[in-house]
Amino acid sequence: MDIETVEQRAGPRQFGPSDELPEEYRRAATRMIQFHANSEVMGGYLDKEFTRHAPSLDRKLANTAKVQDEIGHAQLLYRAAETLGVKTREEMLDELANGEGKFLNCFHYPVDSWYEAPMIDFFVDGGAMRRQATLKRTSWTPYAHAMDKICFEEGFHVKHGESILRELMTSSKAVQERVQETFEEWWPRILQFFGPTNDESHHDEFAQRVGLKTVSNDELRNSFLNMYVPKAEKYGLEIPEYPRIFERDDGTMAVREEDLDWEEFWTIAKNDYEGSHEQIGSRRRRQEAVEWVRQAMDSWDTTAESAPQAAD
Amino acid sequence: MIWEVFRQEEPGDYHQHVGNVHAPDREMAKQFAQIQHARRMQTNSLWVVPQSEIGEVTAEEASFGGETDKSYRWAMTYNDIDASFAEEVAESEEEQREAAEKRTEVNS
Repeated sequence: MDIETVEQRAGPRQFGPSDELPEEYRRAATRMIQFHANSEVMGGYLDKEFTRHAPSLDRKLANTAKVQDEIGHAQLLYRAAETLGVKTREEMLDELANGEGKFLNCFHYPVDSWYEAPMIDFFVDGGAMRRQATLKRTSWTPYAHAMDKICFEEGFHVKHGESILRELMTSSKAVQERVQETFEEWWPRILQFFGPTNDESHHDEFAQRVGLKTVSNDELRNSFLNMYVPKAEKYGLEIPEYPRIFERDDGTMAVREEDLDWEEFWTIAKNDYEGSHEQIGSRRRRQEAVEWVRQAMDSWDTTAESAPQAAD
Repeated sequence: MIWEVFRQEEPGDYHQHVGNVHAPDREMAKQFAQIQHARRMQTNSLWVVPQSEIGEVTAEEASFGGETDKSYRWAMTYNDIDASFAEEVAESEEEQREAAEKRTEVNS
């Protein structure tokens, strides 16, 4: 199949491993799914910090369940990426460990307080879910199938995140102030979650032409604002004056992009931000620390009689 | 030799198990699968897999989970939160609710 045929046929779940697809499509799809898979891993590592900070047993349990989900999502996505025949799972994991693998901007900022939990678990996950729901209609079938299971699980994450926000914002005045401060710090990062404007996005246009993406960065960001700004306000959070949010003629909201720090964003995109080094490094060190577990599993006698229990 | 047959109705759908056929080799299995499982059903693609290649683990030998109360990991638990503001969240919750109902039916 050449690119023109791909563009003509592009539609939800149109292509799969049995199709002969041009290199350009397979590379673009790999880049996108690998980025997504890496983000699940790095999001999971970031989120696990909250288990320690969570104020109650229920919250700790829910948080560990969420982390377990995210790591599981990464496994599904690496499989979906592998089916494109460009990179192996092993190569992608190596790239993540050595700092070449790219992932979502919001996961480049280390967290160290419970007030940050709703920023990730409600706003960032809510944004992620907006995007993921549209990817159920991507043209690469194995990716769409991974999205089916991921979206099935994500509803709990977003609702739990909102539940944390609600709990904090109905708590003492001091707590509410801390949440507001944290929100102000995170808000610009969250707005950048959907990437740069369409004309500055390198990959957006091609990905849409071949059906890998079905909705543009701008549309996603705007629909996110329409849903999540009212939510923030409902719980008493004040939207910071900058970056400026404005209402367009059609009633939808948009952000003045010149108010956002794109230098920081592009530094992060190169994995070269201070936080990038910290997050990538801490994951690598944890991986090294449990190397003995992987070795033990590799040398496991597969003929041993045992009834393994499925992870619950 | 027995071959298990999986049929996909439309491009992008999952291949679902629809039955099996007797056939001496893969080519014959593909033919028989077409005749028996695709002729009168909408089909985009068929898979045939030697039965002996399929590994199975059953509820008798393994604990698949879902029996202990882990309500904290389901969207329905957070019922003071209204999911309807975002259709994808509401949809996920609905899928989880359906899955929970199935688990309850099986366990009761």
